[in-house]
Amino acid sequence: MSDTFVAGCADCDERVSTATPNDVIAFYRRHRAVTGHDVAWERTPTALAAPSSTDIDAVVAALDGGAEGVPLGVLAAVMDERGWTVGETLAAVHERRLHGALWEPRDDHVAAV
Amino acid sequence: MTRWNDGVDRTRAVSPDITAETNALPTNCFTDPEVWELEKETIFSRYWIYAGHENCIPDAGDYFTRTVGDKQVIVARDEDGEVRAFYNVCAHRGSKMVDDTPMTDPGNMGRIQCPYHLWTYDLDGDLRSTPRSFEEASLNPDLDDEDVTALDPDENGLMEVRTDTIGPLVFCNFADEPPLTLAEQAGKLKTRLESLPLAEYEHARRYVSEVACNWKTFAGNYSECDHCQANHQDWITGIQLDESELEVNDYHWVLHYTHEEDIEDELRIHDEHEAQFHYFWPNFTVNMYGTADGYGTYIIDPIDEERFQLIADYYFADPDLSEDEEEFVRTSRQLQEEDFELVERQYEGLRSGALAQGQLGPNEHTLHRFHRLVQEAYEA
Repeated sequence: MSDTFVAGCADCDERVSTATPNDVIAFYRRHRAVTGHDVAWERTPTALAAPSSTDIDAVVAALDGGAEGVPLGVLAAVMDERGWTVGETLAAVHERRLHGALWEPRDDHVAAV
Repeated sequence: MTRWNDGVDRTRAVSPDITAETNALPTNCFTDPEVWELEKETIFSRYWIYAGHENCIPDAGDYFTRTVGDKQVIVARDEDGEVRAFYNVCAHRGSKMVDDTPMTDPGNMGRIQCPYHLWTYDLDGDLRSTPRSFEEASLNPDLDDEDVTALDPDENGLMEVRTDTIGPLVFCNFADEPPLTLAEQAGKLKTRLESLPLAEYEHARRYVSEVACNWKTFAGNYSECDHCQANHQDWITGIQLDESELEVNDYHWVLHYTHEEDIEDELRIHDEHEAQFHYFWPNFTVNMYGTADGYGTYIIDPIDEERFQLIADYYFADPDLSEDEEEFVRTSRQLQEEDFELVERQYEGLRSGALAQGQLGPNEHTLHRFHRLVQEAYEA
């Protein structure tokens, strides 16, 4: 189904399939907490068009999540097109938040400052 | 008579008599989020829970974190070589201190430090130091420095969680006054496991799966093999199911599976010519294989009432597995996947709300013991 997000851990051959992209973020956190493994995307909806940049600030701005911000799961799925894992995207978001470039208008949603 | 949800409330507590009609837990115990909230206290905060394997933290300062329900502990080896557990909570203002750290990728720290205000603790939990701002009152015009009482290291240390071991297996207990010692809860499982050279085996693999059912649904599936003939056809090849034995003890039960052909002693960690699957209440198993010189453990960790993580660990003499051992682990994974299909299918049925209370067969006495323990925990 084109609106389904699928991500998984290659080491455990374990995957999550969901229509709610932030479920992948929750899965990543639970899985990493007990394995240390990263999670990579296997399928993302084709409708997730965004600039082909690895500048995460620019990608967040282009996705324009409105007042709530962009769900981290959507952002991570977009960054998959650039070859980033979920863990790499979350690490980059963390770094940019602590530099004041991104903020979190709602839990697990980000927006450009 | 089957107890359907047909408008007549006929569910009852689990009968001590397995021949009674109400010999199983009511369905809502598997599906109700309030029951899961209750279990966090009555089961997971009361009984001994497996924390991890001490071979993974061999040196002073090695540590991992373990989350049980809403609680998280740091399991660390102190300067005296003792493995201890502390709530991952700072004594200052309650901040979580260290990041989630799996047993399979442990950390090392000389002291435990909270990143918030840098309160620092020794590995025995005593408060070691605080920043100067906690020792003087320079910013508070209502106090002089001499009004500030020094913090006693013993009185302001971390909150320790009781631990005990069976061989290299570390368990913790969150109760102020546990109803049982670990030895009492384990019974002869402790003697049996301590007679084996478990500590000589190293962690080789960890696989973690998320399964869409209540943790007790999987626990029940593990505890019986009536489903094996129809659903684990590869695995039962070479096993004499009709000669298998189910051994039930107070807080653990063992499934003994005899192999048709005699297997060389070198291919088992234990002496008996069989596979032994030990379920240790409430959510831990030790899997002694009949055809591999190694053992495995499962942690059946609830996420909520409708999901759990199966944390499967495999231990072998050499963590660099041989081809046969790799194949063995693959077969074990196949068995898990087959079971996941079964328990998710069962849970889908339970969630439909049609069945008010299931019923156990006469040879499901291991499950009956499990359901009785759950019932007793709810009533405690």
